[in-house]
Amino acid sequence: MTEATDLAERAGDRDPRVGLRAVAALRRLLEQLEAVQVRSARNQGWSWQEIAAELGVSRQAVHKKHGRQ
Amino acid sequence: MFERFTKDARDVVRGAVEHCEGAGVRTVDVEHLLLALLDREASRASFALAALGLAERKDSVRTALDETRRRAGLSRAETEALAGLGIDVSEIVSRVEEVHGAGAMSGDGKSGGRWGGRPGFGREAKRILEQSLRMAMARRERFIGDEHILLAMTVTPGPAAEVLADHGVTHASLTRVLGAGGEARAG
Repeated sequence: MTEATDLAERAGDRDPRVGLRAVAALRRLLEQLEAVQVRSARNQGWSWQEIAAELGVSRQAVHKKHGRQ
Repeated sequence: MFERFTKDARDVVRGAVEHCEGAGVRTVDVEHLLLALLDREASRASFALAALGLAERKDSVRTALDETRRRAGLSRAETEALAGLGIDVSEIVSRVEEVHGAGAMSGDGKSGGRWGGRPGFGREAKRILEQSLRMAMARRERFIGDEHILLAMTVTPGPAAEVLADHGVTHASLTRVLGAGGEARAG
């Protein structure tokens, strides 16, 4: 892991590919974390409105994304 | 589409659901399909995998898949890119699993499954099944066998394709051991 980190850090400043890939990976990670947290909140009886307020998005947006697919 | 699946292919789909349930996960992911494929015996996919020397290396594939889970389903390249930002994905997965249970971070979170019901197929796993139909069509084969599911995995970028490639299973190597295809057959 450390070797990979060093490698990525060294390449990071110059190669846009590394930076762009990191952003794309971060987005995927974010989506997964959001899904876990929304599921957990729903499981504990939270309303879509409450979840949306915490996430800072509209109720419709969060329901469309995480509601019954 | 499923009416064109051979018995072996249906067994893979069923096996994937079982692996998913066994792991206590709600969404069937590509990794569960691959685990189910590894269980197959005397099928076209199992012959192809054996021909590529995988019969004795199945545990190595399973271990690699487990590592993938620890990376939240991200590919090694993605994990390294995040490490470059100082983000330790395995650390995040450990913490989330501590609170939300094993496998909470795997899968794409989009599930056809309901609470308390059977697991549903996730987006990526569905994509593999759709791709397997295309693989069969490309080989001019009427039925979708488990080898087409395996082929589909190798052409769909993601952790499963990565793990397979690391073990020498690619679309090219599979095509070599499966032959050119073209004969219609009922599996």
